[in-house]
Amino acid sequence: MALTTAPDPTRRGSGSVRPPATRRGTGRIRHGEGLAGYVFLSPWLIGLMAITAMPMLLSLYLSFTNYDILTPWSEVEWVGLANYERMFTSDPSWWHSVRVTLSFALIAVPLKLAAALGVALLLNRAWRGVGLFRGLFYLPSLLGGSVALAIVWVNMFNRDGAFNSFLALFGIEGKPWVNDPDWALETLMVLAIWQFGAPMVIFLAGLKQVPTELYEAASVDGAGKLRQFVNVTLPMLSPVIFFNLVLETINGFQGFTAAFVLSNGTGGPVDSTLMYTLNLYITGFTDLEMGYASAMAWVFLIAIALITVLFFSTGRFWVHYSDGEDR
Amino acid sequence: MHPATHPTSAPDGRSYRTPRLRRRLLRGLLAAVVALPLVGAAAACGDDAGADGKTKISIFWWGGEARAQLTEQALDLYTKKNPDVTFEKTWQANQGYFDKLATLTAGGNPPDLFQIDDNFLAEYAARNTTLDLASYQESGKLDTTKFPPSLLQYGVVDGKLAGLAAGENTQGLVYNKTLLTKNGLPEPTTGMSWEEHIAWAEQVAKKTKVPGTQDPSADYKAFWVWLRQQGKDLYSGSELGFTAEDVTRWFELWKGARDRGATPTADVIHEGNQTDITKQLVVTGKAATSWVWVNQMPELKKNTADELGVIAYPGDPSAQWARASMYWSVFRGSKNAEIAVDVINFLSNDPEAVKLLGTDRGLPSNLDLRRVVSDDTTDAAMKQSITVETELAEKFGESPQVPIKGHSKVRAELIKAAENAQYGRATPAEAAAQFVAASQAAIAS
Repeated sequence: MALTTAPDPTRRGSGSVRPPATRRGTGRIRHGEGLAGYVFLSPWLIGLMAITAMPMLLSLYLSFTNYDILTPWSEVEWVGLANYERMFTSDPSWWHSVRVTLSFALIAVPLKLAAALGVALLLNRAWRGVGLFRGLFYLPSLLGGSVALAIVWVNMFNRDGAFNSFLALFGIEGKPWVNDPDWALETLMVLAIWQFGAPMVIFLAGLKQVPTELYEAASVDGAGKLRQFVNVTLPMLSPVIFFNLVLETINGFQGFTAAFVLSNGTGGPVDSTLMYTLNLYITGFTDLEMGYASAMAWVFLIAIALITVLFFSTGRFWVHYSDGEDR
Repeated sequence: MHPATHPTSAPDGRSYRTPRLRRRLLRGLLAAVVALPLVGAAAACGDDAGADGKTKISIFWWGGEARAQLTEQALDLYTKKNPDVTFEKTWQANQGYFDKLATLTAGGNPPDLFQIDDNFLAEYAARNTTLDLASYQESGKLDTTKFPPSLLQYGVVDGKLAGLAAGENTQGLVYNKTLLTKNGLPEPTTGMSWEEHIAWAEQVAKKTKVPGTQDPSADYKAFWVWLRQQGKDLYSGSELGFTAEDVTRWFELWKGARDRGATPTADVIHEGNQTDITKQLVVTGKAATSWVWVNQMPELKKNTADELGVIAYPGDPSAQWARASMYWSVFRGSKNAEIAVDVINFLSNDPEAVKLLGTDRGLPSNLDLRRVVSDDTTDAAMKQSITVETELAEKFGESPQVPIKGHSKVRAELIKAAENAQYGRATPAEAAAQFVAASQAAIAS
């Protein structure tokens, strides 16, 4: 086991592990191969440079300017840290959007993961037709952040939407969910939670990896279902939970489409759905303050990076890798 | 310990140099073949400036299917008369239009000719994105002799003619005639005071169970008319033309109306605050009255089976003015500015083109042709809006200054503040203070 999974030294890419003879003999050819490799890679590399890396660096530069989209490059003025200063000291709507995004992520992400894990546990059995259910539960997440889905959602949670008709069956009078500033964000959270299919599938795969002998051993030791779940399933699943948590948190912070559609691009009603990315979009493209929006984007990037680092540093304490001794 | 490090590729290193080399070349060639088309495709996206003496004018507007058809026909007519000029036409819905226009401009790919309205004209003009049309007007290349002077003036920003009015319109209060007749209720009339309007709306609500009027406290154009009736204005120079006290009174006026049950509930008002025609409450049946522009009547009529009527906003109608419903502007850096200006001239003054376009962008700016169009139209709703606007035109006051840079943000802030009051999350005074502070910040930057 340990032999086959041990990292293959030849794949480390560093020439130092290769015997000297190899290097002398095929060095130039290897070099040529490298070149061909890069040429093959070039479509992607050029894409990465032109579509991702360059614009990112450019936006870093823009974040120190007063760029407003319409003004030609030559007339853009360097404003130093003014944009960053404004964000932290004198922009209430920025702080508001931070609060909205944090509360969205703090509530929607854990609930989504819990739903995904719960359903995965149910579907991890050999029932008849379980494949159908797996497919059905996965379906919503295939729709992803689509505009069409958001439109359906808005219509479902209107004052005269399907959800309120359903509530009416039980004599409950609903609310105008999406048009109520106290409920609009919650409606978006429900949408996010409902799309738990992707983490669910990953949980399912993780559950299949848990060796059955662990459960057998546990039940021999007299552990009940709950104990088995807490002491076997959760630790064995912790790498998968960790993976889902990191991914879904990043996704949660970046929620845009549904908020944009629900509020017609305004973040309304009364800024209740003003997610960070939506605020950034409005600032850059509607208010034409692209320099300031770039600064917002960089603060966002750094915040997400910090949160991810935080996850990784705490992961040590609760994530167990079964082949832990190799790491 | 390292079983996998045997140099498996070493033996053929020296002896097979030549085939190896050929293979290497082949491999490189293959990679190039894969990669090249992509580069080529990227290059092909470049300029399409005709070398054959033909000019292609790119033109961009917002609107619906109907406007697209009319505009395309008018432009085809231009090509017919000027075979050397063709068009690259792009159009889309109003939502997202200005995002796209800004992005195109930033990408160095702006259209030669574009549609714009007073919400953004100053934003573009202040940044020198629009060409000053004054010199063309003076040289007669752009004929504005038949334009009402105030309409022409409403395209001037900082002394430059930033856009030429593509049509004229004014604020219009559209009400559901069918609903009123069915319930034996009186129709509202131009010149009613705001109090009378609200009392009438309350009466409608009590009798029909349909709220009498949309609450327009979030609507900048209604607020603007009201301000002008108080001797104030939306902007005065580069400052706000009103105080927090004015806004408080405005919000309180409508809080009173909501408390009396004259308006819908806050969530329905919020729905009606969208600019989308199909969402207007008079069309969706959620209120008897909507606050729109007169030229939107025909479009509104298409969305409801009920008969509609249109009058001026409450109060003294001289607070309303001949507003350019939208403008045509030319991008300052356009290489084909001469021709683009000529196209504007054609769309404004050519009898055939103006007849084709009708009142889709508002009443034609050219007064002579406006008469012809209104005589010829067969669309009842269009005829109605022309009649009402022509009547109102006699009472119009002077045009205010074009909204200044930052206006789009001010509009958004008004909606936010008014909704805060509507949902009961703030008192009128708190909401007013919030709005004034945010607006001052918006126009200062």
